[in-house]
Amino acid sequence: MGNIIKTLDVTDSLTGLKDVCDLENGRIAGKIFYDQAIYEQELEKVFARCWLFVAHESQIPNTGDYITTTMGEDEVIVIRQKSGGIKVFLNACPHRGNKVCFAESGSTRGFICNYHGWSFNVEGNLVGQHESGVYEDSNFDKSKWGLKEVAKVDSYKGLVFATFDPEAPTLKEYLGPIAWYMDALFDNQEGGTEFVGGCIRSTYECNWKIAAENFVGDILHAGWTHDSAARAMLGGAVAKVSDFEESYSVNWNGHGYEFALDTVGNVAVLGESALNKYLHTIKPSVAERLGDFRSNMIGSVSSCTIFPNFSFLPGQNTVRVWQPRGPNKMELFTWVVVNKSAPEEVKEKWRKGAMMTFSPTGVFEMDDGENWEYCTKTAKGRVTAQQDLFVGLGMDSLLTETPLPGNVYEGQLNEANSRAFYQYWYDMLNSRSWSEVPNRNVGKPEAE
Amino acid sequence: MEVIEKVFLCKVSELAENQVKKIDNAEFGDIAVYNLGGHYYATADLCTHATASLAEGDIEDDMITCPVHWGQFHIPTGKAQGFPCEIDLRTYPVEIEGDEIFALIEADPALIAKG
Repeated sequence: MGNIIKTLDVTDSLTGLKDVCDLENGRIAGKIFYDQAIYEQELEKVFARCWLFVAHESQIPNTGDYITTTMGEDEVIVIRQKSGGIKVFLNACPHRGNKVCFAESGSTRGFICNYHGWSFNVEGNLVGQHESGVYEDSNFDKSKWGLKEVAKVDSYKGLVFATFDPEAPTLKEYLGPIAWYMDALFDNQEGGTEFVGGCIRSTYECNWKIAAENFVGDILHAGWTHDSAARAMLGGAVAKVSDFEESYSVNWNGHGYEFALDTVGNVAVLGESALNKYLHTIKPSVAERLGDFRSNMIGSVSSCTIFPNFSFLPGQNTVRVWQPRGPNKMELFTWVVVNKSAPEEVKEKWRKGAMMTFSPTGVFEMDDGENWEYCTKTAKGRVTAQQDLFVGLGMDSLLTETPLPGNVYEGQLNEANSRAFYQYWYDMLNSRSWSEVPNRNVGKPEAE
Repeated sequence: MEVIEKVFLCKVSELAENQVKKIDNAEFGDIAVYNLGGHYYATADLCTHATASLAEGDIEDDMITCPVHWGQFHIPTGKAQGFPCEIDLRTYPVEIEGDEIFALIEADPALIAKG
């Protein structure tokens, strides 16, 4: 049995951190996007503590199937066990720390380190070494030197998350009522979802929070930033969000979901009428499964980020992780998600559509990239970094009489989710343990 | 002159179907005894590639997979199936007497697996 990582060093929060966020007044400082010391605190207090998305169950159906990914900057292996469960190990040999798996995905009986031939089975146990006799002569206890296992692994509707922190709340508690909204994409049909195609990887010279916050609740940018892309794909402008009769921003524990109830606004930008048709075809069965309200969300103008760095767009069906690679560098991992039960040609159209729009050469993705890079780069200036940035839209829009779960705010053109995201980030950086993280949720924890 | 030694391995009742069992043997080297769908086989237990007990490996059809580097051997013939195993495994004829399984081992020192 590989030993589970039990303790994390926690340093005190930075002096001067107080000045970087004032969310009650809708202000953040540009500094949070370009500061090495803040970044190092993030790796320790956000990425080594929170639940992070690591895989979709469909990527590793059989014993020994694995993918490699990162949790923050820590490289990990996610592997299916004989028991049917999933384990996540550090991708580092416990002898000299060498990387033990170099492939992005595959199926194996185990991993053998290139350096001294330490060999680990699917369960992470150390089963052999080159010249194993000399270890035996040193009274070496093989059972103590397996691959290091992360503290907790759990899944929600096929999405596998892991955390390094044994003190972390359960995944269910962590996601809270946002899970209820996630079902609109991940549980709208019997059989659930699967990823199609591989992982698309690209690099940006931007801070990871800019991207995560864009998906947590910034539909505002779409009508302006993506105007030309929408005209190319749709032959017309992006839907005018302020014209929607009903739309919401909902958040919880720093996660945020913003959505309209127009069913197909997001999927329309893929320019594939067969996908609009598919969503209209399944809508009655979704209504039966999830109720009328969520059946309107399956491909609507919407986006979501699960704190800190897991995001998706219903309709475009792009799923992504914004991997931190320094304060001003981010690696983006992107996948395409589809209903398992969807016809093959529908799955293929989604894969193609997502590539045309939200991949490194996709027309929407390119629109965002430059903006995000310059939001980061301007903060290189020591004076500019001190500049207050406005995050104050919709300060008084909390809905207190709604039946919807979560902290619910009226309208999508609203920075309530962005504020909640930065507030949670700020709270994590100021907390030495999970018990110190303040609970700022005011809404219902569950759907009625 | 060749001498065939008849070495007791275990009882039939001790070896379930598609199982392998390691029998300690200081003289000839440890022996792995297999039950493949009611047919019994015996091979050297020590992998010919590195230090590993094959009895700790997995049986798949008529192959045994080494638990350390996942090389494979064909159980009935001992044939190494590919990298990193290049040397075939020594096999022993098996004899069943009532409930007891025996290996027939040629006691030629040159052929004895080192254990």
